[in-house]
Parts: sequence; C-alpha cells; structure tokens
Amino acid sequence: MSVLAEVSGNVTAIGYGLAAIGPGIGVGIIFGQGVQAIARQPEAYGLIRQNMLLGFVLTEALALIGLVAPFIFQAI
Amino acid sequence: MSEEKKRRPEDDGQDFANAAWSIPSYLLSGMAIYGGAGWLLDRWLGTSALFPIGVVVGVALAVYLVYRKYGR
Amino acid sequence: MNALTVLAADTPGEFGAPTPESLFVFEPIIPGVAWFTKPVLLAILSSVIVLGFCWAAFAKPKIVPRGVQNVAEYGYMFVRDQVARPFLGKDADRWMGLLLTMFFLVLVWNLMGVVPFIQFPVASHIAFPVVLAVTIYILKVYLGVKHQGAIGYFKNMMFPPGLPKPIYFLLAPIEFLSNMIIAPFTHAVRLFANMFAGHMLLAFFSMVGFWFLFEKLTPLGAPIGVLGVVMTIVFTGFEMFIQFLQAFLFAMLAAMYIGGALHAEH
Repeated sequence: MSVLAEVSGNVTAIGYGLAAIGPGIGVGIIFGQGVQAIARQPEAYGLIRQNMLLGFVLTEALALIGLVAPFIFQAI
Repeated sequence: MSEEKKRRPEDDGQDFANAAWSIPSYLLSGMAIYGGAGWLLDRWLGTSALFPIGVVVGVALAVYLVYRKYGR
Repeated sequence: MNALTVLAADTPGEFGAPTPESLFVFEPIIPGVAWFTKPVLLAILSSVIVLGFCWAAFAKPKIVPRGVQNVAEYGYMFVRDQVARPFLGKDADRWMGLLLTMFFLVLVWNLMGVVPFIQFPVASHIAFPVVLAVTIYILKVYLGVKHQGAIGYFKNMMFPPGLPKPIYFLLAPIEFLSNMIIAPFTHAVRLFANMFAGHMLLAFFSMVGFWFLFEKLTPLGAPIGVLGVVMTIVFTGFEMFIQFLQAFLFAMLAAMYIGGALHAEH
C-alpha cells in the first residue's frame, strides 16, 4: 500500500495537542457553569468564585503537566 | 485577607480576574522552579527520577499556593 | 507573499502544508538593508495609521462628535469602561493615554492579518509583542518600587499574608518567578502565539483552496478545494474576532499589572 500521508517533525507536539483537549473542555465547562451559577444565584458569588478557581487550578495543572510530559519521558 | 471592610462588587470582579490570570503563571513557575531543581539534582547525582518528581511537587505546591491565596 | 511562491518551495506536483519558514521569513524590501522587511514596514505603517487616526479624531474635538471622532470616542469609551476603570479605579484617567494607544496599536497590528494584499499580522513576529510587554514590565516594577518602596514591593509580592510560616520558604520562589519572569513572558507570548497560529491556519486553508481549485483541478479534489475556501472565509471572520479579543486582553493585562503595582494586594 502506498503512503497516503506522513507525519514529519516533532511527534511530541501531537501529544501535547491531544493532552490539551481534555483540560480545554474542562476549563470551558468550569467557567461556563460557573458563570451560569452566578447568574442564577448572585448572592452565592463568593462561594461559586472560590470553587471555580479551585477547579480551574486543578484542570490547568493537568494541561501544564501535559506540556512538560515530553521532557519527562525524554529524561527517563 | 480582610474581606469585610467596604468591598464593592467591582473589587470582587477585579480580584477574580487577577486570580484567574495569574493562576497559569503560578503553575508554570512552580513547575519551572522545582522541576528545574530536580533536573539539576539529576545531572549532579546521575539519577533520572528527580525531574518528574520535582515537576509534580512544583505543581502541587503551586496549587496549594493558589488555594491558600485565592481559595478562601 | 502569495500562495504561488509558497508552493514553489515545496516538491512540485504534491500538496504540502505551509511551513513557518515560508510564511514568516521575508526578504528585505530594499536589498542590502537587512532589517527592513515586510513586518517592519507594516509596524511603521500601523504606527502612522494610529497617529493619523487619533490626530483626525482628537486634534480638534467637537462637543457633538461626528465622523472619525465618533468612532474614536467609541473606542475610548470601550477602553475606559472595560479596561481601565475595573483595574485602576480612580487612577483610570491618568493611564488612559497609554492604554488607549496600546489597544489601538495592537488592534491595528492584528488587523493587518486580514487586510487583503497585506495579510500579515505584525504581532506574529515575537519581537513586536515583546517590546510592548517589556515596556509594561519596566513600568510595573518602577511604579511598584515608587509606590510601595523597594523592600515593601518585593515583600508584598513574595510573602502574601495568611500563610503558615514554614511554607513561605517553599512558596516565595514560586511567587517571585511567577510575577517577575513568567507573567511578562506569557503577556507577550499570548498575543504572539494567537497571531502566529491564526496566520498559519488562514494560510493553510487558503492554500488548500488554491491548490485543489486552481493548481490541480480534479473531480476528487474539487470538493476539498471548496471546503478550503469556505473554511478560509469562516476562519477569517473568526480571526477578526480573535484579533480584537487579543488586543483587548493585551491592554487589559497591562492595566492589571499597572493596577497591581499601584496598590498592594490585599
């Protein structure tokens, strides 16, 4: 079978692209639902904000771990 | 944080924007500092496990910092 | 730089995606003057456009605005209400000059990416955003030292109140690196990366359209070419939105850093 398409260059870029999908969806859900919650219940703003930031930190950490994962696997 | 004295709604929004924009910086610098320290120790001691451990510890410390700073 | 010259660099007879070298590296316009390339020309042009725009709008302001002044006042209102006032409070009017100039300049830089026949966002060369970010960074440190004192500024930055004592030893380096190095770095890179990726995306889709409809028109390839053209149109609209958003974010982050230097975090 002849070659239809090939990938050249650094494959870790594809890895990070895949790793960024999940956190991307997660951050979108967190802020979307957070804004919705604030709109529904403005008096609970402080509590919602705190939990929104917490969820955002944990999700963003995954995205940034994906960023350094290629270096980690290179080092091992 | 002294939350109770004359907080206006704009202040809350400003704090929130400050927090949301500085969180990626905190996580990145946590990883850079402790991951970098682990990498240097790896080179010095000839091991290979300290760099990943440093990265994870850095992320954990940065998450803890953000939690203590903004999460309450 | 049009699609033909880009295609010529690849293997003939085969479709090849555009590479960063073919899209972002330019020959000097005047031979021998190595620094004077298309991005530099566009940056100078953008400065002249912003200067002329603001001159036309605000040189002889009328009480009842009309024409250019109307548009410019709309932009001024936007920057003041959305960027300056939320972050600077009562100091907003003092910093409007800087923030408005920065917003307009970055907006014109970015919009160069969708103007026909120019089609190069200036900010996709990282040197240009870096200059603005470094300016804001120097201003931030200067203002922080001036308003909080040299020791107070670094103490407020590295030792936020409300943490247990032994933890400071572990967390102060993170705070320092984050505020002093990573924050200005991401400030510049956010604008650069968005413009770079957007330009690559537009170039890729327009090249798909050009290649499959004009260079190699085959029954199988024609639908792909039509898809490429449709995606180019859709993504041009999307890019205009992104370009506006990035100019707004750049000015907003600048206002945030200045505001953070003026008042200690509480």
